[in-house]
Amino acid sequence: MIESKGVTKSFSTTSSDVLAVNDVNLEVKPGEFVLILGRSGSGKSTLLAMLAGLISPTAGVVRIHGTEIGNLSEDKTAEMRAKEIGFVFQFSGLIPTITALENVMLPTLFCPDGPGSRSRAVELLRKVGLSERADAYPGTLSSGEMKRVAIARALINGPPILIADEPTGDLDVDTEIEIMELFKALNREGTTIVMVTHNPDLTPYATRIYGMVKGKLVTNPESFCFRTWKAEPGTPVDTD
Amino acid sequence: MRQKMDYFTFIVAGIRNKPGRNLATIFCFAFIAANIFSGQFLIAGAAGGIDRGVTRMGADHLVVPSQYMVFLRGAGPDNTIAIVMAEPSNYRMKATILEKIGTVPGVSAMSPQLYVSTLNLPELSPAPVDIYGIDPETDFTVRPWLQKPLDNPLKPGEVMVGHVVSGEVSTRISVGDQTYTIAGRLDPTRSSIDHTIFLRLDDAYALAATKGIVPPSSPRITPGDVNAVLIRDSTGEDQDVVGTRIKRSFSSSPDYKYVSVIGRHFTLDPVAEDIQAIPALLSLISAFVVIIALPLIALIAVMVAHERQREIGLLKSMGAKRKIVFFLVIFESLVLAAFGGIAGVGVSLFVLFLMNAQGVLNSALQVSFHMPPLMEIGSMAGLALLVVMGIGSVASLWPAYQSSMMNPYDAIRLDW
Repeated sequence: MIESKGVTKSFSTTSSDVLAVNDVNLEVKPGEFVLILGRSGSGKSTLLAMLAGLISPTAGVVRIHGTEIGNLSEDKTAEMRAKEIGFVFQFSGLIPTITALENVMLPTLFCPDGPGSRSRAVELLRKVGLSERADAYPGTLSSGEMKRVAIARALINGPPILIADEPTGDLDVDTEIEIMELFKALNREGTTIVMVTHNPDLTPYATRIYGMVKGKLVTNPESFCFRTWKAEPGTPVDTD
Repeated sequence: MRQKMDYFTFIVAGIRNKPGRNLATIFCFAFIAANIFSGQFLIAGAAGGIDRGVTRMGADHLVVPSQYMVFLRGAGPDNTIAIVMAEPSNYRMKATILEKIGTVPGVSAMSPQLYVSTLNLPELSPAPVDIYGIDPETDFTVRPWLQKPLDNPLKPGEVMVGHVVSGEVSTRISVGDQTYTIAGRLDPTRSSIDHTIFLRLDDAYALAATKGIVPPSSPRITPGDVNAVLIRDSTGEDQDVVGTRIKRSFSSSPDYKYVSVIGRHFTLDPVAEDIQAIPALLSLISAFVVIIALPLIALIAVMVAHERQREIGLLKSMGAKRKIVFFLVIFESLVLAAFGGIAGVGVSLFVLFLMNAQGVLNSALQVSFHMPPLMEIGSMAGLALLVVMGIGSVASLWPAYQSSMMNPYDAIRLDW
């Protein structure tokens, strides 16, 4: 479903080149819930952006459903994002002057022939437990509610893939659990999820876990310590 | 109920997001639209007034005794604004001349006028008042200036008064020891017609016979005397040709040897110069406003695009294509421009209607303001809207381009 081969991304700064992602090979199969753990600046968000076609890798290829997105035109990449991928960010990014329901419907603008519709938006809001708040404006919603609206929005066009960039980063523990339960339920229903987080407590929700350290994807999460972030890939487990 | 989100809802949502700033932008657009619209409206209204005036300046020729040098009322340097009435003169001729003129081919209307006197009537006008006799049955030059048409031709004892002469319609005024009822008031003409009283010829002869009206030094006015005959040509007739025919008809008659025919040589120069100054000034103001407003609106659009980088990044992550982002920014500006344009046109139309109702436009423009027809108002409003929407789209071109080219990843990662 999602495949990256030798994906590398470096950014040029005034003083030097920063290697944000270094030769990442990843294959996400349909129905998986992949969690990528890593500290801030480890390159996990950059990897996610490349997997979604938001940025191009400096080297390597990313394929979605076998299509190499680097070969797609800007418009085709946008179409692919509209149809194939739902995004959830750490910030909810809701438009404050339209209702929760309208926010959920927003991506239908860019996928007019997709399954997204008002009735589907209502259904999604019900699924995320906000059917009562459909007409509420974002300003009147709690952080958790806003996040759930953002998740419903990400799903409106029926994407098979949900990409989440630290979606629980700014939430309290209870709300974090609510959101993760929601992701788990969506995954059970068949949505493939790729999520990055810095919180190792979320690993039980995933079907596969990776670590990201200094731009490298670590395939054996037991090989590094999430608590102290001292370990390098391949080092023995040192959990406390 | 709509099943999909529509762009307009999204754009309006974006506008509502920053009401203060967007209101300021709308105000800018409204100001420009109001300026453009009122400029056109005033020009059209003034031009309409002139057009109406042209139809009022009915006479194409003036037949007068040759003895006096004619200065046409309201005349500028060329003595030729219009022929509504002849300059006061004590040179007269007999009204029987009308029979002669009536036989000339190409003459469609003719009406005699008699200058009676100029009187100081401070209770009626600060300026001396001219008294003229006209034939209400044939008059075609004074009557068109009436503010409200008369139900019937002027009856004995009734008068029409110039704009400056005091007294409402149906009230009575005294001239010498005669009293008259005001049957109608004239629109402003910016000429001595404004302080003239027009009465029937028979009343004029009666008034002239009253002691103290005609100065003793002037020749006595006797019934049948007229100062001038105003002539209108038939439609399509060449003015010069008809004028020559009239002259020729007199040349063979010893009775009318000393009669002159004066053509209108019609120009509107004195009025036109004033009127032309108004659009020039308004165009200057409009150009100034546009020059000031365009970069201001462009700056606001750049600010908006900058502020909404993350939102734009989010839209792109949802699948918004470059051209969609580009047009969203342009359309938002267009919607603001349309709101502003409609508000500006609406408010200025209301104010202009109000000013016109109060007669402010007449005095401000110093012409008889004529409300343009609805269709014309509609096209002026449309033009004003088009101009502001043009400004809106031009001003938002650069920010729209910048937004469309924005990398969604960079935009999303900005602090919100």
